[in-house]
Amino acid sequence: MMTITIILLMACITFSSRYLMLHPKLPIVIKGKMVTFLSFSAPAVLTAIWAPIIFLEKESSLTSLSNPYFIAGILAIGVAYRTKSVYATLLISGVTFYLLTQFITP
Amino acid sequence: MINKKNRKYLLKGIIDMLPFNLAVLPWGILCGSLAIQRGMSELEAILMPLLVFAGAVQLVSIELIAGNASIASILITTFIISSRHFLYGLSLRNKVQNLNSKQRYLIGFLLTDELFALSSSKKAFQHHQRFIYGLAAGGSFYFFWLVWNVLGVYAGSVLPNLTNLGLDFAIAVTFIALVIPSIKSMATLTAVVVSALLSVLMTLYELPFVLVGASLCAMLAGFIVCRKSNRIVEGRGK
Repeated sequence: MMTITIILLMACITFSSRYLMLHPKLPIVIKGKMVTFLSFSAPAVLTAIWAPIIFLEKESSLTSLSNPYFIAGILAIGVAYRTKSVYATLLISGVTFYLLTQFITP
Repeated sequence: MINKKNRKYLLKGIIDMLPFNLAVLPWGILCGSLAIQRGMSELEAILMPLLVFAGAVQLVSIELIAGNASIASILITTFIISSRHFLYGLSLRNKVQNLNSKQRYLIGFLLTDELFALSSSKKAFQHHQRFIYGLAAGGSFYFFWLVWNVLGVYAGSVLPNLTNLGLDFAIAVTFIALVIPSIKSMATLTAVVVSALLSVLMTLYELPFVLVGASLCAMLAGFIVCRKSNRIVEGRGK
């Protein structure tokens, strides 16, 4: 019963963190400079998620040049820049990543 | 009720979310099986994805609950990991004001990293079809997350650990594929570079609030560059 109570409280926190800022009655008006500032949120947050996966090895040291995550990640940046296609980027870098993990690194 | 046009957006939402739906399979299974291994009942283990619906929070809290951590420390940890969502809500605040309250609650509940990643279009949630798109994307992610967790709960002991398959690479690449084409100005490029540098350094030095800290600094950097370049353009105009 205790665990279920904790789970319910945790659910309240995750839901309110997601919903709170969407609530219309909250006295926050986003305009002007705030709109510009927030327009960088998607590239900023998403990069803060992908960069450590690509540039770190096991979260404890900078990547080595032979790390498949790093090589295929850099390739993905190039392909995304050229093609602007999610699926082309996923396919090309995914296959590269798979081959690297299978054949090159032990 | 669902006409042809709505169905198109419904399908597009599900298809766009598909890479994420499949990529989180190992973590869903891990969450489910870890909960059982750490002594949770099946009901508790399933309530986690059903109500909490947050991978990192689930993994950390399962260990904390099993280690008899205090309720306060569990809830504070949950809050820290969830704090990035405030940023998502703020960014989408203006976009969801046309929705009715039921629709807004739904989008709020489904607002994961993955749904936020698919919501950066200026038109996101702006009209009914865009709402259908978001609902389909977010809803399908919820569905798959639940299925993977349940799979972990009931078959975790016989399934191999798949988290070393490298599927986190698929998540990283999908984010890369969404972010890189959106870089159309010096300001956005600055935000991306600052975010990459700070998130890597902060993770390396095990600092707290990596996501929120790195993101806010990056957004500020982008904002400053944007203001400066606007001023230069204005100056040339004179």
